[in-house]
Amino acid sequence: MAKYAHPEVLVSTDWVDQHKQDSSVRIVESDEDLLLYQQGHVPGAVKIDWQNDLQDQLVRDYIDKDRFAELCASKGISNDTTVVFYGDKNNWWATYALWVFKLYGHEKCLIMNGGRKRWELDGRAWDRGAEPQYPRANYVAKEPDLSIRAFRDEVFKHQKQGKPLVDVRSPGEYTGELLHMPDYPQEGALRGGHIPGAANVPWSRAVNDDGTFKSAKELEALYVKDCGLSRRTPVVAYCRIGERSSHTWFVLKYLLGFPKVKNYDGSWTEWGNLVGMPIAKGVDPRPAGQGTSKSTDQAKTAADSTSAANAS
Amino acid sequence: MTNSVAERLEQVSAEFAECEPRERLELLLEYAENLPPLPPEYQAERDAGLNRVHECQTPVFLWVDLVGDRVRIVADVAPEAPTVKGFVGVLVETFNGAPAEEVLGVEPNLVQKFGLLEALGMMRLRGLSAIASVIRRRVQKAVAGNSN
Repeated sequence: MAKYAHPEVLVSTDWVDQHKQDSSVRIVESDEDLLLYQQGHVPGAVKIDWQNDLQDQLVRDYIDKDRFAELCASKGISNDTTVVFYGDKNNWWATYALWVFKLYGHEKCLIMNGGRKRWELDGRAWDRGAEPQYPRANYVAKEPDLSIRAFRDEVFKHQKQGKPLVDVRSPGEYTGELLHMPDYPQEGALRGGHIPGAANVPWSRAVNDDGTFKSAKELEALYVKDCGLSRRTPVVAYCRIGERSSHTWFVLKYLLGFPKVKNYDGSWTEWGNLVGMPIAKGVDPRPAGQGTSKSTDQAKTAADSTSAANAS
Repeated sequence: MTNSVAERLEQVSAEFAECEPRERLELLLEYAENLPPLPPEYQAERDAGLNRVHECQTPVFLWVDLVGDRVRIVADVAPEAPTVKGFVGVLVETFNGAPAEEVLGVEPNLVQKFGLLEALGMMRLRGLSAIASVIRRRVQKAVAGNSN
């Protein structure tokens, strides 16, 4: 594949610089580090935080449709606004925010290729001022589009059928050597490892050093040739809480043009805590998408596995 | 700096408590900006990856030792992680030069004292608690090393 399947979803820092004042465009910064926006943001950008704005503060879920509509209205985003997301960590959180916007059916969602890193490398100006207030907009959110969100029961079924899964966490998290602290149970799970049959492609392999996405050819090699994923089979991506996997979801869906990709936002913090779920440890030799559920690695059910969580 | 660690922590948490959540972020950013740059004699170790806090995804480097019975903390945090940097700034300002026993006497969940939960969210607070635990463990280790 010589070109991205949907190149129109990416815009350059230059494009964003030229559309800072465009009233049909709203630039949204979404970061892991909440202070970065204060430290300096793209002039005219508003801030949307994945934890404080997009997640429900009580139930483990996203905000509902009405609150999503209220959030958009308050940021001056209407249904036909073109929303351009960017952020830190190679646009990790930008793609997460984009995924939530897609969940509620927002049509025009773009990513500023390279995110904060590229803007900084370009030497473009940062604004240290307060978040701009735009006139309130009208917004009507759609019902959630569940074609991009996977829940645990369907992931379980998907796994039992031997369909492809991509675990986008670091190799250490995937094999089950826990990155777990002595006095401190991280955002953790009681068991370490991965969903049997999942291929491990750490999300950050999809980006270049300057934060931009790798070329279509490189991504095709990574996900299709090396990892064995196919556009003919539905794919589920997961990580620890569904954030890093939204980045891979974006790559597969928009850059490589996979028609059916879901993000499993429950991810390892759900799967690795559920009683009786099958878990594999170590390196899984079977590439994803081969259509067999027979796993040659040390797959065990959670109920009889040894306590991996005490490894450190 | 005659105040005890407990008193200094009270002062810092009062400073945070008096702020609106948004201002708390500004205050934290000030602490980030006030964290002294890493002295040149530590840079080679950092560049070699030594003293990195592996529990943090963000590159955080901490050198914790004792000068007499006083704690000395030298820290380096990547500029792209100002939240972590700000919190480390608070800890360095509060703990540096204090007697080890006072640092070890601090309640482990001190992150909650600063009222950062609503400003930062639960997930981010966990990472910060991790840093406080690492400092605590390294002070313990330094104390144990001294008494051998």
